[in-house]
Amino acid sequence: MQLIVTAISKAYASVQAVKHVSFQINSGEIFALLGPNGAGKSSIIRMLVGMTQPDSGSIMVSYQQQHFDHVPRRLLGYLPEDRGLYPDKSIEKNLLYLARLHGLSKASAMQEMAHWLAVFDLTERRHDELKQLSKGNQQKVQLIAAVLHQPALVILDEPFSGLDPINQEKVVLFLQQLKAKGMTVILSAHQMAMVEKLADHMLLMAQGQVVLAGTLQQIQQQSQPLRQMKVGFNSSVTVSQLQQLPAINGVEPLQANHFMLTLADEVGVADCLKQLMPLAELTQVEMQTADLHQLYLAAMTKQQPEVAA
Amino acid sequence: MISRQSLIVAHWEFLRFFKWKQQLISYLLMICVMGAIALWSYFTDESRQTYRIAVPVELTLANTEQFQFQRPSINVADQLAQMRTDDSWHAVVTEDQGQLIVHTLTGKKWLTQLESVLQQHYRQQTAEKMGLNAEQLNQLEQPVTISTRYLDESYKGKDTPEKMIAMGALILLFVGLTTAFGQVLTSITGEKQQRVTEQLTAIVTPQQWMDGKVLGHSFSALKAMLTSGLVMLLVYTVVSVFAKKAVDLSWLNISVVLWLIPFALLGIVLCASFMGAIAASIDDPNNSGKSAVMMITWLPMVFTFLVIDSPAGWGMTLLSFIPLTSFAAMPVKMAMVTVPWWQPVLSVLLLLATVYWMRRVAGRVFLRGMQMYGKEPSWGEIVRWALSNKTE
Repeated sequence: MQLIVTAISKAYASVQAVKHVSFQINSGEIFALLGPNGAGKSSIIRMLVGMTQPDSGSIMVSYQQQHFDHVPRRLLGYLPEDRGLYPDKSIEKNLLYLARLHGLSKASAMQEMAHWLAVFDLTERRHDELKQLSKGNQQKVQLIAAVLHQPALVILDEPFSGLDPINQEKVVLFLQQLKAKGMTVILSAHQMAMVEKLADHMLLMAQGQVVLAGTLQQIQQQSQPLRQMKVGFNSSVTVSQLQQLPAINGVEPLQANHFMLTLADEVGVADCLKQLMPLAELTQVEMQTADLHQLYLAAMTKQQPEVAA
Repeated sequence: MISRQSLIVAHWEFLRFFKWKQQLISYLLMICVMGAIALWSYFTDESRQTYRIAVPVELTLANTEQFQFQRPSINVADQLAQMRTDDSWHAVVTEDQGQLIVHTLTGKKWLTQLESVLQQHYRQQTAEKMGLNAEQLNQLEQPVTISTRYLDESYKGKDTPEKMIAMGALILLFVGLTTAFGQVLTSITGEKQQRVTEQLTAIVTPQQWMDGKVLGHSFSALKAMLTSGLVMLLVYTVVSVFAKKAVDLSWLNISVVLWLIPFALLGIVLCASFMGAIAASIDDPNNSGKSAVMMITWLPMVFTFLVIDSPAGWGMTLLSFIPLTSFAAMPVKMAMVTVPWWQPVLSVLLLLATVYWMRRVAGRVFLRGMQMYGKEPSWGEIVRWALSNKTE
């Protein structure tokens, strides 16, 4: 399936939650929506799920030569941000009910359920009432509920929240399994390390707008301010000498005559090297790439200095 | 009209509040309780015993099944002593200046019956003193009989079994609506608080969800009505058995009972849809005044009850055609007067159309209410949504 979102906007009363956001997701991709609370991620998700309609813009879905101007419910698996099932009913009853609503026969629902309960080590507890489970296990049941009917598109709003690191890793494996099964996944999350492992494409948002978009590599290339370079000299060079160079924005001394340099805005690597070479002979030049967490913080600092601080 | 998804929701909702084991246990308990009450009242019934009563020699009282009146030759003090020591007497009656005094050990239920026998005796004596014979006294004691003859042949009469059926129908509808009220409110607001709603609405449309809820809880309400109806019949049967009367169900008008089913079903669905719409607009039931509005659904029964003694009057006729009240009024009217066939048919059709409209309103209110995210809509907004055409 392919999802094309074009310039969608959404306002609630006087608050502009989403402003002209566009993106495209191809079949079998994992797509991450990133951003601080209130960035507009959940609003986009609710529009995709069909709970609200965009004020402007369009959502187009292509699936098996069919085209839709919304995401059809039958293609969708959804883990809402505000989650919960029936606490007085067993895991099995909860899952069976949702699977039946999705149109599965009882036999296929039981078969799918057995598979996913085993994946999450919940087989033994299938008859336990939901309220008897820990928060983490309830979260796993909710994840199973979202994929039991093998949807073409799975939308997971904060799938890692409330989980310990071990269970977060299990969710990573779970998402990789979904991808392997050919499902397209949209997730919103704050756990950058997890997203970095999983996402094929990502969209960084702030105040309802797109800040950065693309693959991790593309985003790293787009985030000019974070370009860092590790350099080494064969003779003594001081920090103040380096700080005086217009191509350098920041200097962090490492071991003897080795430094981590942050390049100034819109300065090319070649220009920087031209300014460094007169100081001493360069023995090491290594471009550094920022991880997603750093990129995220840098992007947010630019957009919302008070949030990042 | 009703999708498969709605039926799955209805099945789920019905079973959410229905547990076979508990239901059976409650039936058994009910039967046990009624049996225990019947046995207790049988074994403690003092009227089946015979009591020996000492009366003054001049008191010529005839014995009854319950009381043996004896005139002992010993004096009153000795009679009282005997009563205290060897139970020779259950009571000793003395006369003092024209007033009868009953002496007994302690308070007993049969004393009331004894007083009644003594009073009857005294009335007879007074009548004799006044020169009245037994027949004249009997006539004097009989209340004047006033009978009313109704020229309208369709009216089946006042205080008839038909009125009992009508009252029974109103009581059952009240039971059904009370059940639906509790369940719809708990189910919808509870689901919102448990955060299930967002998950479900990604699977089914708001209309399918609301249809399922309304149907599920309507079936629960009908089940409660059926249970109450059976309990009423059971109580009637038990009372008849213990009163040594034959169990007579000939008063049960099957035609009216059969008509009651579609009216009750549609009425409950109509009210459950209305309740669903209100419940869908409630964010937090603990801090919302809207749940009280759901009690409006009891008004049809109250209005009908107020005109139950004029079943052919304009009030009842009006109520039996207005779809918001007809589910209560028409069965009552049918129980008490003979109505032409087209009246219940027209009434059902109007009710059916209103039910269809109301379920759409409930679906719309739920859809829009869900998009408010924690903010409770105003009455103006609810009315606007109800009148809009948006269902998705």
